[in-house]
Amino acid sequence: MATPSPSAFTRPAAPSWLGGWWQRKRASLFRHTPGDGRPVVLRHSRIYVLPTRRGLALMATLAVMLVASLNYALSLGFVVTFLLAGMLGAALLHTFRNIAGLTVTPLGAGEAFAGGTLSYALALAGGTHPRVAVRLAATGAGEVVVDVPAGTGLHVSLARTAERRGRQALGRVTLSSDYPVGLWRAWAYLHFPLSGLVFPAPEPGAPPLPGGSEGPDSRESGRSDAADLAGLRTYVAGDPLSRVAWKAVARGSGWYTKQFDGASGGGPVALDWFELPEGLDPELRIARLTAWVLAAEHAARPFGLRLPGQALTAASGREHRRAVLKALALFEP
Amino acid sequence: MSAAVTTAGTGSTFSRLWARGPFARRAVPPPPVLSLSQIRWIGALLIAAQLPQAPWLPAWIAVFGITLVGLRMVFATRDARRPQATPTRIPSWALVVFAVAAAWFVRASFGGHLAGRDPSVAFLFILVGIKFLEARTRRDGTLLACLAMFMLITPFLANQSAWAALAMLPALVILGATLEALARTAPLVAPRAALKRSALLIAQGIPLAAILFVVFPRLSAPLWGLPQDYAAQTGLSDTMSPGMISELSQSDAVAFRVDFDGEPPPPAQRYWRGPVLTRFDGRTWSAIPQRGPGAPVDAQGAIQYTVTLEPSFKPWLFALEQAVGPPQITGGADDPGARSVQLTADRQIVARLPVREVTRYVQRSALGTHFASASDLDVRLARALPPGNPRAKALAADLRARYPDDREYAAAILRMFHDEAFVYTLTPPLLPTDPVDMFLFDERRGFCEHFASAFTFLLRAAGIPARVVTGYQGGEINPRGGYMIVRQSDAHAWTEAYIDGEWRRYDPTAAVAPNRIERGLSSAVGAGEPVPLFARLESGWLKSMQLAVDALNHAWERDVIGFNQSRQRELWRDLRLNTDNAPWVVGSLAAVIGAWGAVLLAWMAWRRRTEAREVLLWQAACARLAAAGLPRQPHEGPLDYAARAAARWPQFGIAFNAIAESYASLRYGDVEPDSKASEALLATLARAVDVLPAPRALRATAP
Repeated sequence: MATPSPSAFTRPAAPSWLGGWWQRKRASLFRHTPGDGRPVVLRHSRIYVLPTRRGLALMATLAVMLVASLNYALSLGFVVTFLLAGMLGAALLHTFRNIAGLTVTPLGAGEAFAGGTLSYALALAGGTHPRVAVRLAATGAGEVVVDVPAGTGLHVSLARTAERRGRQALGRVTLSSDYPVGLWRAWAYLHFPLSGLVFPAPEPGAPPLPGGSEGPDSRESGRSDAADLAGLRTYVAGDPLSRVAWKAVARGSGWYTKQFDGASGGGPVALDWFELPEGLDPELRIARLTAWVLAAEHAARPFGLRLPGQALTAASGREHRRAVLKALALFEP
Repeated sequence: MSAAVTTAGTGSTFSRLWARGPFARRAVPPPPVLSLSQIRWIGALLIAAQLPQAPWLPAWIAVFGITLVGLRMVFATRDARRPQATPTRIPSWALVVFAVAAAWFVRASFGGHLAGRDPSVAFLFILVGIKFLEARTRRDGTLLACLAMFMLITPFLANQSAWAALAMLPALVILGATLEALARTAPLVAPRAALKRSALLIAQGIPLAAILFVVFPRLSAPLWGLPQDYAAQTGLSDTMSPGMISELSQSDAVAFRVDFDGEPPPPAQRYWRGPVLTRFDGRTWSAIPQRGPGAPVDAQGAIQYTVTLEPSFKPWLFALEQAVGPPQITGGADDPGARSVQLTADRQIVARLPVREVTRYVQRSALGTHFASASDLDVRLARALPPGNPRAKALAADLRARYPDDREYAAAILRMFHDEAFVYTLTPPLLPTDPVDMFLFDERRGFCEHFASAFTFLLRAAGIPARVVTGYQGGEINPRGGYMIVRQSDAHAWTEAYIDGEWRRYDPTAAVAPNRIERGLSSAVGAGEPVPLFARLESGWLKSMQLAVDALNHAWERDVIGFNQSRQRELWRDLRLNTDNAPWVVGSLAAVIGAWGAVLLAWMAWRRRTEAREVLLWQAACARLAAAGLPRQPHEGPLDYAARAAARWPQFGIAFNAIAESYASLRYGDVEPDSKASEALLATLARAVDVLPAPRALRATAP
């Protein structure tokens, strides 16, 4: 399992009991480990507030104004300076309040092939008042800025590039906001045990499907023209989208899957780890097997998988495809 | 013009130059660029910050600075209208030209100075315009917001009136909205909502501001040298030549205001003593350096009052004759130089440094017309008779022969002023040579300084020590606020003669125009004289309004501007703040600020609760259904949830639908808040929620 991003905090040299305390404290302060149950309500103990750079610039200006007012004994200078300081203080409370009480619920994580985009879904619920410009960011994932209306919740999906096969954890999510005036940034760390499944990337230019059984050559079944069309059958979940009869869908007459001459006759394909050439790199083997899974699916032929220590009997359909790909994703040679 | 200079980049000119230097960084992502709406907000902020300052600047500088800001706004709008065209950019050389021109303007307008307080303020005024012209990134926007913020306090260097404070408020509110616009990229910030939010933030910060204003320690001495540039002010000076006081009397500017502890004295006793002029050169009376202290005066029956002195840029503090001792300064004079005041031997109250700010002091005076001399030197100097004015000397010799007694001699001169054709006028003729002679024998028209000067001269010519005292005579009670206003138009000059071992006050003006002393200037001079508006007697609406405004001004100067170290100490004492115990002070300050935050958060929560009633009703309905075993899924919208609930309990389908639809249209529809339609929807929602049975009943009816 992928570990969260490396920390910028180095552990100070300290006695072991102190180090242990610091380790625990750090875990709770910065949430480097996925310790959040579901759902999380952001309370003050979790929310940090610090001035933004613009806020610091304003504070420095306020300090200059204060010195000028002091020196020239400008009572009205003090009035303006302190009014602005009061505004700064009120802005802090508004910023804090903009994220305090938010409920964040992890909904789930998606699946993707390596190199694709994994998405993690979170639900935000604002409670009695709307939240403005709430920013969600995770390492490696693009930022999302949302306004959360009062009452009902909102779904947010954080997209992340799927790096390598296996499970990919979302890691720590930083939820922040600088609303209303951008002088303060309030943030909270969330670390849900959400992880998405990354299927192996298929080998580009993989060899054709292994024979395994009689039937037409798999290369021919890759892409057929209309002449090969044998007929339509009712769409079954898991049928490849490339075979959906989109014209029928567009007409509104229902979902059908095109059946081709070449495809109908295809027998099951056995995808066997041990059948692959000796000396082939394990990752390359997995990539090739993945490419074959896709090719077999495309050809609408049932396929089975045999890996060291596990075997899946030949079948077809969405569930089977997922089971095979999952086995490949999590396989440790 | 080289191509490199005009290259359009993302950063400002300065940052681009920087980036080319030895610290050039590689692969820096382009900083976020200011949008049109952000530019407009910044422009509005800058102009709002410039306008209150403009009246105090030379007109050219004011026009130049504001024009630069306006120019950028015009460019930005034009560029936004033609997105295809290349954006208008002021070339860098032009910015440099502007900056040099600004420096030249400022130098020329401030007597060849570029450093110093006022030139710096003027330069900043133009500099923000130049910076705004080349501002590209949001960081530039932040810098401009900070500069504009600083500019909020610069007008107060010139003027701390309540009007100046009011003039600053728009910029303060726009500042908050500009900061919000800088922080948000999309969607656009709605101007009215942003201004409202900003005003709300400021309003919520007022308690904190008030606490800080009261507790923040003030300095008793400035951190660095105060500027030497004093504006030319109207007021009494240490010299008096014919025509000076009559000119001063045509100003109705306030000299000082007085709060009496008891009843104010009658008009005839309102002699506010100022500069005492002993030296005479035949034309001009002038003060001689003085040392204290004055001889003690019997303090019995002394009255006490507080004077709020407008800045006069002169060292004199004014007190009713005769001051019992030096005043106790309570406000304004934060400068220790101005604070060290003394009562001199000739009973002037003189500060070591000029009075540069509104100064408050408590003074005690025993009303009287004579006092003992503190030094022989004073008396000796008051005998000096300059050459010239031969006819006056001849008159003195003639009169002295008839009245050997000093008092009778003085009375005879006063009688002459009264009986002969002397005219009291605000527009006296010019007296080019031997002014005393010309006044006494040729013109016979004069203002108080002519009478005082001639009277004193005649006394000296007879060997009686005498000197001129200038100050103010009179004062008007403001019925609103019950304090006295003394204006420049009350400026006066009278005479002090040393007779029978005491200095005695003689007012020759009273002999020629008794009304001047009893009822003020406008009743003493003829119709058509240039009496200033507010010194006139008629009580029109303008005058009563002016008095109302003056009462406000007085309160403002007393309680806001005058809030300095000593007033702060007084307040702390009254509030029983133990300022010596620093941890206690810091602790209680933290507690008060914490309480402010808690109250504010609670108030916001409460206000939201009353605002979003539909949310509360909806949540109540959801909670009821959840308790009945049908919780809303996080992804479920109101309508879907209602459909699911209706499928489970068809008999309440109508209620579920009513709740979901009214809630959805209140929340997400385009129903105007607080309109009739929203009220009706809210009523429907409330009724439908009311109709829902209790969770237990629902569970019982579940299929």
